Amino acid sequence: MNLLNKLKLSSREASLGIILLISIGVTGLINPRFLTGDGTRDLLTSTSVVALLAIGITPVVVMRHIDLSIASTVGLTAWLIADMCAKNPDFTWVQCFVVGPIIGTLVGVVNGVLVAWLRLPALVVTLGTLYIVRGLAYVISNSVDYNAQEMPPSLIEGLGQKVYFGLLPFTFLLVIISMIVIAYFMKYAKSGRDAYAIGSNPPAADLVGLKVTSRTFLAFVFSGAMAGLAGVFYLMRFAQVDSTAFYGQELAVVAACVIGGVSIFGGTGTVVGAVIGALLVQTIQGGLAALGVDAFWKSAINGLLLIIAIYADRVLAVRNEKQLLRQRIKERI
Amino acid sequence: MAILPKAIPVRKTWDTAIIVLLVVVILLASLTNELFFTALNFSYIFSNTSEIMIIGAAMLFLISLGEIDLSVASILALSSSMLGWSYVRGAPIWLAILICLVVGTLCGFINGFLVTKLGLGSLAVTIGTLALYRGVANGILNENTVNEFPEFWTSFGFDTFGTTFMPKTLPMIIIFLIFFGFLLHRTPFGRRTLAIGQSPEAAKFAGINIVRHKMIVFTFTGFMSGVAGMVYTFRFSTAQADNGVGLELLVISAILLGGVSIFGGIGTIWGVVAGVLLAGTVESWLTLEEITAQWRTIFTGILLLISVAGPVLVNKNKQRRERKALKS
Repeated sequence: MNLLNKLKLSSREASLGIILLISIGVTGLINPRFLTGDGTRDLLTSTSVVALLAIGITPVVVMRHIDLSIASTVGLTAWLIADMCAKNPDFTWVQCFVVGPIIGTLVGVVNGVLVAWLRLPALVVTLGTLYIVRGLAYVISNSVDYNAQEMPPSLIEGLGQKVYFGLLPFTFLLVIISMIVIAYFMKYAKSGRDAYAIGSNPPAADLVGLKVTSRTFLAFVFSGAMAGLAGVFYLMRFAQVDSTAFYGQELAVVAACVIGGVSIFGGTGTVVGAVIGALLVQTIQGGLAALGVDAFWKSAINGLLLIIAIYADRVLAVRNEKQLLRQRIKERI
Repeated sequence: MAILPKAIPVRKTWDTAIIVLLVVVILLASLTNELFFTALNFSYIFSNTSEIMIIGAAMLFLISLGEIDLSVASILALSSSMLGWSYVRGAPIWLAILICLVVGTLCGFINGFLVTKLGLGSLAVTIGTLALYRGVANGILNENTVNEFPEFWTSFGFDTFGTTFMPKTLPMIIIFLIFFGFLLHRTPFGRRTLAIGQSPEAAKFAGINIVRHKMIVFTFTGFMSGVAGMVYTFRFSTAQADNGVGLELLVISAILLGGVSIFGGIGTIWGVVAGVLLAGTVESWLTLEEITAQWRTIFTGILLLISVAGPVLVNKNKQRRERKALKS
């Protein structure tokens, strides 16, 4: 039974991986440039911010919560770091990588306190912090923009444009590393397993004595910290920032997660799936652009993809349930 | 059963508290700023909140059911775009308006279909249709804007009756509010809505056709978003794909501020009206005090947090006191 469940999980990611490969192949056929080192590098660079955020909110979503404030946190962090670097010209990438997650963590702590301790619905709370954090970015920035000249060269030209083997950008390497660490953690660590238990059945998890409150709190803090790091990634990719940076992109992250099999109803999904989901969305976008589909239809296609993914998720879940039921009936007989 | 008598009085006090707060804010604003208590300013408040009020009246039902629709602002944009698109292509204005309303209704129907017939979660699905509808609007109009509409209709969207505080759209909005208020509080349909929100299981066993009920509510939320799309188009005299971006969050925060429970089962039309007007009044006050739009974003967020934390904390406190009373 346990083995079956494990197989099911991995088969979900495997099928997603196959869909990803097919869409990469098809896109490559239409536009051969897509398969070259440059094409791969572009794909990975443009996915890394969303992929990192998707990893960040996966534990939250698995616990049947949601974090909509991440995109605002990315904007605020990116602006604050740019501001800090502009005022301290001797700062390097090190300070950025320290300060980013700290700012994000602060937002995560606020979300965590409100959701975990006060037991307020995460959707509404993070909607509120979405406004507040974005508003802070507006107020603090006072309409000042920054671009590449004001930022440390070690961050923008150094790490931001660093590519390994001609196709793996530094940012995506970090995405892969954090994906592996978090995947391992969620699969084998006690607190990682707790996340699935809490998401599958919150009251039951509470009754068996899991630390629901502190685990939920930590999940939000983690999500905030990753959003802070994503703010640094944002700077590395775009090398410019204003207070509206990454506005409204939280839904793209949620979409990547759902497409990657992280169910919005909690209890299932892995960070590997979330990253594949983010890649898949980006690849399909690239493929459609290669086909000559107008960029204006981009958001419509995103929405359609998301709905199809949710539907597929539902069909799979129903089938899984039926199978388990049949098995149980057999065992009874 | 035990939960009901406890929860309802608290909610009622929350409704009243918001109405009292609204009156206090109006008083304070009038005392501190002489521009506030003028017919012109009130006409601004009413017309600035008109789309939120129109969608909110329908969304009240959805949230009371325990569902949510995040795609309303995109429906607004799509129906507005269709209005402009068909008018530019030579359709008479009545036909264009009809198309606008039909598109809205259809979008709502699709949401309802996905949620009820396919059994998908409304939060996830409407995030999907949020992107989908806005994307279709983008695909249809590209970057074009349509801003040539008959004067009668733009005047309907923008002007007031003479120099009174009443925008020309206000009577229509009041009729909608009375209709939905009556529907929620005085008809079996409304009772069923709240019953489903309180306990879907119990409602099912009581013989309520939940699927059909949700379908109807999703569809008329779409219709009302279409109406809001029409009002928005004429108010700004523009049909474009990015009309009303982010409006869904304003609608939801105003409704929650009005004491409607995000978990479903509790909500009143008075609460919604007061919530929407409170948000609009505060916004207007802050604008008159020359507090920038940036601060207002923060304020909206704080208001939303208060609106959700308030009732929960009041409830907790009350339970604690009751427990103490029981002990002694």
